[in-house]
Amino acid sequence: MNDKKAPSWVKLQNWFVEKLVTHDGGISPLPGGEKSLTRPVSREIPAEKYDYQLFLEKASRTMIRFKKPEHLIKMIVRTIDEQLHVTHTAVLLYKANKNSYILIDSKGSEGLKIPVGFVRLSAENPLVSVFDEKQSYLVSETGILRYEDVITGLRNRNILEQQPDLYDKLLLIKKQMDLIKANLCVPCYFKKDLLGVLVLGEKINGEKFSREEMGFFVTLANDAAMAIANAQLIENLQQKVGEVKDMYLREHRIFIHTSIALAAAIDARDPYTHGHTERVTNYCIAIAKELCGIPEMANYKNFRETLQIAALLHDIGKIGIPDHVLNKHGRLTPEEYEEVKKHSIIGATILHPIKELGDVAREVRHHQECYDGSGYPDGIRGNNIPLVARIISVADAFDAMTTNRPYRAKKSVEEALFELKRCSGTQFDPVMVSAFLLAYEKGNILSIGSSQQRL
Amino acid sequence: MMMRKLLVVDDEVDICDFVKNFFQERGYSVSVALNGEDALAMVKSDPPELILLDIKMKGMDGIATLKHIRDINKNIKVIMVTANEDQDKMDEACRLGACEYITKPLVLDHLERTVENNLKEIKV
Repeated sequence: MNDKKAPSWVKLQNWFVEKLVTHDGGISPLPGGEKSLTRPVSREIPAEKYDYQLFLEKASRTMIRFKKPEHLIKMIVRTIDEQLHVTHTAVLLYKANKNSYILIDSKGSEGLKIPVGFVRLSAENPLVSVFDEKQSYLVSETGILRYEDVITGLRNRNILEQQPDLYDKLLLIKKQMDLIKANLCVPCYFKKDLLGVLVLGEKINGEKFSREEMGFFVTLANDAAMAIANAQLIENLQQKVGEVKDMYLREHRIFIHTSIALAAAIDARDPYTHGHTERVTNYCIAIAKELCGIPEMANYKNFRETLQIAALLHDIGKIGIPDHVLNKHGRLTPEEYEEVKKHSIIGATILHPIKELGDVAREVRHHQECYDGSGYPDGIRGNNIPLVARIISVADAFDAMTTNRPYRAKKSVEEALFELKRCSGTQFDPVMVSAFLLAYEKGNILSIGSSQQRL
Repeated sequence: MMMRKLLVVDDEVDICDFVKNFFQERGYSVSVALNGEDALAMVKSDPPELILLDIKMKGMDGIATLKHIRDINKNIKVIMVTANEDQDKMDEACRLGACEYITKPLVLDHLERTVENNLKEIKV
């Protein structure tokens, strides 16, 4: 490096380091503090022996911290433009959705200033594809494409006469370089992917770029590529997470609606219990609201979901009960009653194969159990009856009492509440009865959906 | 040979400057308007052969400008420049007599070729 050039390089490096630290575009401080970066290393070291490696290591460590690659690229472009005295500097960045390299930043004190986002090169553009082919006679060992090499190639008689294809290609490359007035094109690789191209015009003083400068560009470009790749990876990941979340929500919605449709199908078979499922579900949710904070509920995995689905599907087993029993006017015979009692087992059997609904199947099976162990199908008692089943039991009984049945007229709300209290501790879990009464007092039982007209 | 006359209409100064330089270097005579009103005044006073017209502009947009241009002059070639491919807008532009549209970010030699080809159709 000659003496004339050296000072501007030292200046550039210091300036660059300073910018890395003070730049406000999404840079976070280094854990080691800013001192390590801002320390004017070069003042003690003679300019000729400046440690590029050290500088680049620091620069690349800081680059990773840019959250938006655009900020990093803007900074690189600005640095080179202001400090290197090049006619213009620009960066082309690959955008997969356009299969193109888009000019995302450009600066020029003289000559060309290309508006940001206005120009693109397609991936087939010779100026881009030249880097894939890795032709040694086009690209010097730094990996850089130089205008002067292209011109030398075009002036080479051997190429003109013996390699007409190459000659044509050089012509095309020259044309493309002329279009954006490129003197030097530096590829930005991440692994084997060409993520971008750093385009430099001529030095204003007319000098050639030195080997050292070009080496610096290559390292800078590749570090930048890594930072860009990182940022893109994170962006993709965030997008994926969002997609998965949307998909989950969608599937969940579909599932809940399927459950509602199923429940409606059960209700439809029995005109007397029309709307039963919907009301029971609403009562269950009202009860659960009052239970907030009890440890049993807090420890229950997916409590709300299980409650909602189990409430919707608690009578799904009625699908297996013959019409003449289900729709019978008048009291059921003991045999018929045995038939009806099967519905909780049938329901659990229907739901059992759905692995994700393991808890729901269990709750449906036990929704007719009594707190004192006198219920069915298993006669279990107390807290051995699963939580959701104990909630459904109260809600189910209340709705049954307050709606007309083939064999009896409905009770008044007061009568029904009295019955709940009377059977608290025998048929029902007293905790659930209290929660129901609380919900009723707060108006949460009356005010729910279609149940309002029914009560 | 007479220099071919272009008018570049865009509310971004950088774009106007760049396109102006680009075509001047290729031997065109290029004037610039930063809004629709100025463009119309220029079409009246010194009509160009071809207009590169940005669609999204503050104030009078490209479509409205195109309408007014057609009221004044039916023969000027107009190429629309647009940032997004809004098909409805493009269809409207075509009905109003735009000959082609170019999407930003654009490919420079495509821009050059499009202008050249459209000018070739005009008999000097």
